[in-house]
Amino acid sequence: MEPSIDDPWGRGYRVPEQQDGHTPDHNDPYYDMGWAGGQVTVPEQQTYDPYTTSTAEPYQAAQYAAPYAQYHAPYEEQQAHQVAQVPQQQPRQDASPTEHGQRTADLEPAYRIPQTPDAGWDMAHSKRRGWVSRAVLLCILAIQAVLSLRLSNTAFQDEALYLYAGHMELDHLLHGAELPIDYNAYFSGSSSLYPVLAALADSAFGLAGARALSLACMLGTTALLYSFTRRMFNERVALAAAALFAVTQSTIVLGNFATYDAAALFLLTLATWIVVRTDRASAAAVLLAAPVASLAVGVKYAAALYLPTILVLAVLTAWPHRGKRSLWRGVALAAGIAALLGIALLASDVLTGIQKTTTGREHGTESAFALLQRSAGWGGLLFATACVGAISYARRGRMNESPRSLSMSGPGRRRRVMIGIVLCATALLAPAYQMYLGTGVSLFKHVGFGLLFAAPMAGIGVSRLVGAHFRYPQLGILLWVVMLCVGLAQSTWRFGVWPNSTQLVDVLRPYVNDKGRYLGGTHEVAVYYLRGQTSQRQWTPTDNISYQDSRGATHTGEDGYKRALDDGWFDLVVLDGLATGGTDALIADNLKANARYRLLATVPFENSSGSGAYRVWVKR
Amino acid sequence: MRPRISRTATAAALFAAVVAPLAGCSSAESGAGARPAAKAAEEFVKPYDLRPLIQPRKKYFGAAVEKAPTSMAAVDKYTDMVGKKPNLLEYYAAWGDDFNAVGVRNAWEAGALTVVSWEPADTTIADIADGKSDDYLKKYAGSVRKLGLPMAISFADEMNGHWETWGTKHVKPADYVRAWKHLHEVFDEAGATNVIWAWSPNIVNSVKSIDIEQYYPGDAYVDWVGLVGYFTSYESNAFDYVFGPTIKKVRTFSNKPLLILETAAEPGARRRADVQNLFKGVTDRDDIIGFIWFDHNKRADWRLEVSPLALAEFKRLAADDSFGFDVRKP
Repeated sequence: MEPSIDDPWGRGYRVPEQQDGHTPDHNDPYYDMGWAGGQVTVPEQQTYDPYTTSTAEPYQAAQYAAPYAQYHAPYEEQQAHQVAQVPQQQPRQDASPTEHGQRTADLEPAYRIPQTPDAGWDMAHSKRRGWVSRAVLLCILAIQAVLSLRLSNTAFQDEALYLYAGHMELDHLLHGAELPIDYNAYFSGSSSLYPVLAALADSAFGLAGARALSLACMLGTTALLYSFTRRMFNERVALAAAALFAVTQSTIVLGNFATYDAAALFLLTLATWIVVRTDRASAAAVLLAAPVASLAVGVKYAAALYLPTILVLAVLTAWPHRGKRSLWRGVALAAGIAALLGIALLASDVLTGIQKTTTGREHGTESAFALLQRSAGWGGLLFATACVGAISYARRGRMNESPRSLSMSGPGRRRRVMIGIVLCATALLAPAYQMYLGTGVSLFKHVGFGLLFAAPMAGIGVSRLVGAHFRYPQLGILLWVVMLCVGLAQSTWRFGVWPNSTQLVDVLRPYVNDKGRYLGGTHEVAVYYLRGQTSQRQWTPTDNISYQDSRGATHTGEDGYKRALDDGWFDLVVLDGLATGGTDALIADNLKANARYRLLATVPFENSSGSGAYRVWVKR
Repeated sequence: MRPRISRTATAAALFAAVVAPLAGCSSAESGAGARPAAKAAEEFVKPYDLRPLIQPRKKYFGAAVEKAPTSMAAVDKYTDMVGKKPNLLEYYAAWGDDFNAVGVRNAWEAGALTVVSWEPADTTIADIADGKSDDYLKKYAGSVRKLGLPMAISFADEMNGHWETWGTKHVKPADYVRAWKHLHEVFDEAGATNVIWAWSPNIVNSVKSIDIEQYYPGDAYVDWVGLVGYFTSYESNAFDYVFGPTIKKVRTFSNKPLLILETAAEPGARRRADVQNLFKGVTDRDDIIGFIWFDHNKRADWRLEVSPLALAEFKRLAADDSFGFDVRKP
């Protein structure tokens, strides 16, 4: 390429805006990254001296054989040198105006430097930037998919329960078959929504199909996260947010886990996306998010915990365009969701289930510190990055290196602070609520819901960590790699918590039929895999029993198990010693000296906590 | 101007300070590493349902012959002699012997179940109960589990006799019960669920003063009640005389299936009748699931071959379809 005035080095770009004389101040986000103090200077600026030549071709080969020769000299010296080279013209006092004008014209340079633009690139969206950004997003999604799909195990207890329930609901809907039990009375989401959808996938493709549905939801969640973060901030932040969210333990696990969570998270994200996308539309447009948010709550009741965040976002995202009128946007969305949920509550029988599993859940005994520690392990890095991002964003709202962005009116400090607080605090909702309940049940999944909202702030954190012009990419890469490693290890551990049940199911198959009575700690798994030959009705769990003896007396709890076993009520007993270790030990002690039962098999297993064994007793 | 490296280093240090403790939070969970699922799969042996073997539809037709089941030559010879293949083969193991997996497999492949008469001669019952033989027991149980074939164990039989080192002169009944339960639990813990447990007192006729019930570990620990009793020339040869009192006593505390674990008739003129009484007695009672003929020349010559008339009668009665079956298809 031939050198030009705009591109004296023929490199294809123009001289940066350094020449515009802009002096960064302390509020400039990149002040401390090299623009101030002359650290980043453009060498050609000093080598070019139009006064030293009068030819039309100022850049002869000899002149830029060593273009940096002067650059090695201190800046002040160079400036002095240039000044010295300018001819010192002293106008004669006796000269006539005409003569003076003639001389002045003689002193004019042969040409002038055209006005250079203040930025070497355009801040506006371009096709190139769009597809590069989408290509990076696709890479992130591919990594997320690989991380999820590498996990392998037989169905977890909850997966087995929901899938079996889904099959039963399908039979009920299609053929009018009676449901074995009232699932809505104790499920943490409507049994008519996700379980049915997952059962359809299970019918067509087996457990892998049901899990693929979750993967699709989680990939959709990441893609939507990217989209609304890009809308709220910019591509760089969006990509960083997506990249961090994609490698967290909860995201990886939920992408291969056939439970409500992936679907609920996807719907929540979709609702958030609608809220953000309709920030400039009429207030009524935000109502599009109402059915989606309501559906998310229907799929998993605990999703309601995140509705306030979406409502606040509805106001904050519209504030620059509507001001105080954006409050109506929030009110409209809240009313829409409330109306839909109210109708759903009146039209269904899920209230008991909501109370039992969500609002009125039994309090546990796990310490708040232990739960906090676990939450920190699962999402602490992302949360800490989000906090860094939120603080940095509160201090400086500018999201672009381009000096043109200086003149843009971004969100004010108050709104930036509020956005940061809302998004970061949302990550604390699930841990805080579970600390209040004193239970760590499903916390590893629920943490992920909050991290979704904190991710945009974490994206800002990474963006600021990397700095303008990708000054410190190694920091961003280091953070992502650390999170990837942590996510890998934690997801592997999580997927190994429950034992592989293949051998157990093989052992049980000859002993299970549609008439027997069975006691089982992980009976959901057996019921799911052997659903062609046994029903959930035939199984008694190890966490709840109500046994009526031959005299009509009802026995519950430990006494219930003891009486039932002493009477030889069950034809088969299966224990794994995991979920209900205390009760399992009690039952095993009873069976050891119980003449009615004989140990049929011990099926050893290895899980994340070490080793153990299923024990199966049959009636003699 | 501050050197650029110092800024990078400062930022990296700050970043590391934040990251390190947070990353460490996961170490407790991730430390367990990947699951060696293959190891668990290797250890798994599909269990047999022993219930049809514990309570079979037909009678066991058993024998204890020289060197069987390690060598099946004597079994083949016995089969030729009596005209029917025995489906219960008893052998005697000393305390400290390795598990005879070859023998159990040989027997199984010939359609017979092995009964190990395990004789704790070189240790004390109390020591076994106290777990002092656990290393040996666990190893033995592990081998039994690994083989995975059904078998029966008769531990310290004739415990009610004074002639054994684990008998009444040396062992307290409570210790015997403790040892039995401990043995059973070690096998259960090891997953050796393929064992049928035969509690086997000597018939009470010669030790009337001993209450065998106090040696009984309980129905939860026993599958068969084995009886050790012989037809001798100096006592009545009526089946009820030989086994009746013991059965009557056993039935006061247990309803477990009865197996004549060890029997034979003393050679002599009455031997043919003894054989007839044995077959009739076993056939008449549904709760007796069979017998094992002690075909050894030990203290007396109990072998059938030494009495052609008795052997012929034995062969005739054994031909009945109610005796013998392939244990692999009970």
